Amino acid sequence: MDSRAYLLLTLLCYAVGALHALLFAVLRRSVLTTVSLTATLLGFAFHTAALSQRWTEAGHFPAVGLHDGASFLAWAIVLVFLLVYVTTRVDAAGLFAYPFAFALVFVANLTPDSERASPVLRSLYLPLHLFLAVFGYGALFAAFTMGVLYLFQERELLSRSPRQFYYLIPSLERSDTIGGRSVVGGFGFLTLAIVTGFLWNHSLHGRYWTGDPKEWAALVAWLIYVAILAARWRGGWGGRRAAWLAIAGFAVVVFTFAWATLVPAVAVAAR
Amino acid sequence: MIVVVGLNHETAPVGVREALAFPKERLPEALARVREEAGLGEAVILSTCNRVEVYGRSAEESLDAVSAFLARFHGREPAEIAPHLYRLEGEAAVRHAFRVAASLDSMVMGEPQILGQVKDAYEAAEKAGSLGSVLNALRNRSVAAAKRARTETAIGRNAVSVSHVAVELARKIFGDLRDRAVLLVGAGKMSEVAARQMVRDGARASVLGGRTFERAEQLAAALGGRAAPFEALRGELARADIVISGTGAPGVVIQRADVEAAQAVRRGRPLFLIDIAVPRDVAEDAGKVKGVFLYDLDDVKQVAEANLRERKKEAHAAEAILEDEIREFLEWRRSLEVVPLLVELRRRADEIRKAEIDKARKRLGPLSPEQERALEAATAAIVNKLLHGPTVHLKQMAGNGQSEHVGFIRKLFGL
Repeated sequence: MDSRAYLLLTLLCYAVGALHALLFAVLRRSVLTTVSLTATLLGFAFHTAALSQRWTEAGHFPAVGLHDGASFLAWAIVLVFLLVYVTTRVDAAGLFAYPFAFALVFVANLTPDSERASPVLRSLYLPLHLFLAVFGYGALFAAFTMGVLYLFQERELLSRSPRQFYYLIPSLERSDTIGGRSVVGGFGFLTLAIVTGFLWNHSLHGRYWTGDPKEWAALVAWLIYVAILAARWRGGWGGRRAAWLAIAGFAVVVFTFAWATLVPAVAVAAR
Repeated sequence: MIVVVGLNHETAPVGVREALAFPKERLPEALARVREEAGLGEAVILSTCNRVEVYGRSAEESLDAVSAFLARFHGREPAEIAPHLYRLEGEAAVRHAFRVAASLDSMVMGEPQILGQVKDAYEAAEKAGSLGSVLNALRNRSVAAAKRARTETAIGRNAVSVSHVAVELARKIFGDLRDRAVLLVGAGKMSEVAARQMVRDGARASVLGGRTFERAEQLAAALGGRAAPFEALRGELARADIVISGTGAPGVVIQRADVEAAQAVRRGRPLFLIDIAVPRDVAEDAGKVKGVFLYDLDDVKQVAEANLRERKKEAHAAEAILEDEIREFLEWRRSLEVVPLLVELRRRADEIRKAEIDKARKRLGPLSPEQERALEAATAAIVNKLLHGPTVHLKQMAGNGQSEHVGFIRKLFGL
């Protein structure tokens, strides 16, 4: 099978997870948990097969252009979600991960492959840089999810008349802790990704900073995470501010990523 | 047949329930009397503040007799209590027993006490010698079904009492309560129950004393914590994660400024204030301070009501589990019934007889009508004489409620 066939199977599997998230939000009760988890594990296997197949087909690490970029980001988000679920059993985390992964793979299925086979893409910095970046993004997505869950639960508790989400969403402390760990992990990966990005820049252009917008965006995201870490380091409890910052930080990251995939690295490299 | 005669919070006002309640020490006497007066083979009496019920096994119609016993035992007229009674037999009685044990028939659905009360009732009957194999089986199956319903559905999951809701809310904020600091302001009963639960979860307690410092010291000792004078309020607030306030003071005890001062020290860590005092102890605008969750008694009650609604949503899932278990129980009961066993036994014997006659005819060739009649009569007599003894004994055993051998007999005859 070629990578496209694998990717279509992946989409079908992730659709189950997206349906689960939809039912979860609408019915406000956890249904299909085992089914969607099994489907997601199966989908993840197909997804991995699709990526490795695509690597062979393209001849370079497949994360340039919208098709490969979306697919790769979805893969990292699912992987991080599975890690979070296995370690914490918080199934509300899937509320965002499932639809997000589904949407990204959906986009990947609709878009054509980018057929650029520039020799710069053969550089070993690229897969290293991209792996670090994508795990950073996955972890930051988890932090974003926990931030949203924190704010939801806080609103429920402050309202003094908890509705359904009160029962489904983990405690404030739990969201805060998991979010904090995700930020630490994500921050580490993002830092390394930025460093390797600089090194790649240097090997191509002889300078570390090219002034590219995505460099600025990455820097802003990095500073936001420094702020979250500082807030946590002082109080031990991130609270509402950390939750909002995690959401804002992820928004910047999405912007960075969209920029990097829509205006491919090749364009910069060719300058 | 299993019968139930009784009344509960829905069919009878508290006055009637009180009048018909059975005190624990009179249970043996009551059990003996109901068996005698209503001709019950077995009897169990369940008497709680919300229900009074007589469970029985009887060979014949006994609902009127049990109702009459209930009135007579408590010195009432049967007509006076009749409108409050439900009288169930057979499948309906079994279903009722299962639903009561699973707390689906309780005033607060899913409350855990009823299962213990049901077990106690059966134990009392066992001690009094009025529990036989049928009601014992009903006990085992209904208790197992109740446990299944509790673990597989959420009927008992969300707290519905003020103290437990307070604990649950604290868990929704702080997760694990291990090493959290609980501060009791005033030493009321509800605060104590909630604090005990939190201490069990690993929280540390301290008690702020008011006019009666002694009481605070006693409570602190009971909770394994320490007592402090009321003047230390601000310092204690800054150290606490959860504050349960329930003083009898006529005015506000904890001002917004106190809470603000505490939060300034706490750097935004959440502070959960539970004000269960009426009139309230905590200034209302203290809830507007950042990081503070303030619940007064009405708020906590509102959560309790929401939780109860959640439980009710789970009721149909629990009912489905019970139906499953009830069906199994009834099928098992039916397999032990004597009458169908006798019918089957006779049919099986007749089948064998007819088959053997056919075989004999083939070997003997055509027979004269007299010979036919003689053959029929001889074989029928053998069957009847063989089955006569077992039939009489089985009927006797059924009358005595000894049905435990039926399964064995079925196996013996390959039925």
